[in-house]
Amino acid sequence: MAVNAFSDEWATQFKDEVNKSAAYKAAGKGWKWTVGLVVEAEPDKHFPESRGLVMDLFDGDARDIRVGTAGDAQKCDFVITAPYSRWKQVAKKELDATKGMLQGKLKLKGDLPTIVRYTKASQELTECTTRVPTEWPDEQ
Amino acid sequence: MHDSGTHRMARRAVKKATLVTYSSKEPSAFAEMLGGLIEANVRASPSKQRDFDALTARVGIWVTDIDEGVTLVFESGRLTVYNGLEPRRTITIRAEAETVMGLSNLKIGLFGLPVYYDGVGRGVALKLLQGKLKIDGMMTNVATLNRVTRIFSVQ
Repeated sequence: MAVNAFSDEWATQFKDEVNKSAAYKAAGKGWKWTVGLVVEAEPDKHFPESRGLVMDLFDGDARDIRVGTAGDAQKCDFVITAPYSRWKQVAKKELDATKGMLQGKLKLKGDLPTIVRYTKASQELTECTTRVPTEWPDEQ
Repeated sequence: MHDSGTHRMARRAVKKATLVTYSSKEPSAFAEMLGGLIEANVRASPSKQRDFDALTARVGIWVTDIDEGVTLVFESGRLTVYNGLEPRRTITIRAEAETVMGLSNLKIGLFGLPVYYDGVGRGVALKLLQGKLKIDGMMTNVATLNRVTRIFSVQ
C-alpha cells in the first residue's frame, strides 16, 4: 500500500527495504555514523514544512529511521539537504544521488573521504527509496 | 610578565596552512567536493602529504554525464581548483560520475601503485579498455597519474 512521502509510515517502509537489501548489507559494512536527510519545504508542491529523516545506520543495518524536524536531521554526522522536489526526483530514479551531489543539487555536509568510500552504500540506499510505494503530495 | 607577542607566535604556529584555494569566488559543487576531498586526504595522511608536496601538474577532470569539470593545478604543496577545463593540462580524465568516484576508491598497493586486480580496480581497468574512461596524457605521465591517484584515493 502506498504511503505519504516522508511520513512516519514511509520511514518504516524505507527502513524495512534497507534491512532487506543484501547489497546494502555488503556495501554498508563498517559504516557507523548517523545520516540526516533534510527535505526542504515547497508549499507550492503541497509540502508546506521542512522535515528531517534521521537514519541510524550501523554496519550494513538500519537500526532506526524516523521522521523528525529539519533540525533533528542537521544534528547527524552526515547531512544531505535538498528541496522536496529534488528528493522526489531521487526517489523516482530521475536524478542519480551521486550526480546530484556533484552538481550541487543535493548539498552534503560531513567528512568527504568517508562518504566517497561508501558511494556504493549510498547508491543502494537511494535504490531502497525507489522501492517504497509512495504517494506524493503534489500528485494527489 | 605577560608576553603577548609569544602567544601570538604560538597561535600562528598551530594555524593550518591553506592547501587548497579556488580560482572562482563561486566554485562549482564539483570543484568544492574535489578540493575538499583532496584537502581531507592530504591532512589525514603523511604519505599523501609527501605526494602533494612533490606534485606539480595541471590535471583536468571532466564528468561526461553532468557536463561539468574542473582543473586541478598542483604546485608543490598548493592546489588551485578551477571551474571547467583550463589550457595546458598535463593529464585530462574524462568519465561518468560513477567512474570518477570509483577512481577515488582505488586501493594503493605495493610501491605506491594503484591496485587494479580487486573489484574496484578491475572495474576501472575495464572502463579504460571500453573507452568509458579516457585519460589524455596517460602514457607520457604515468608517474604523475599514479601520484594523483594516491592523493585522490580515500582507501
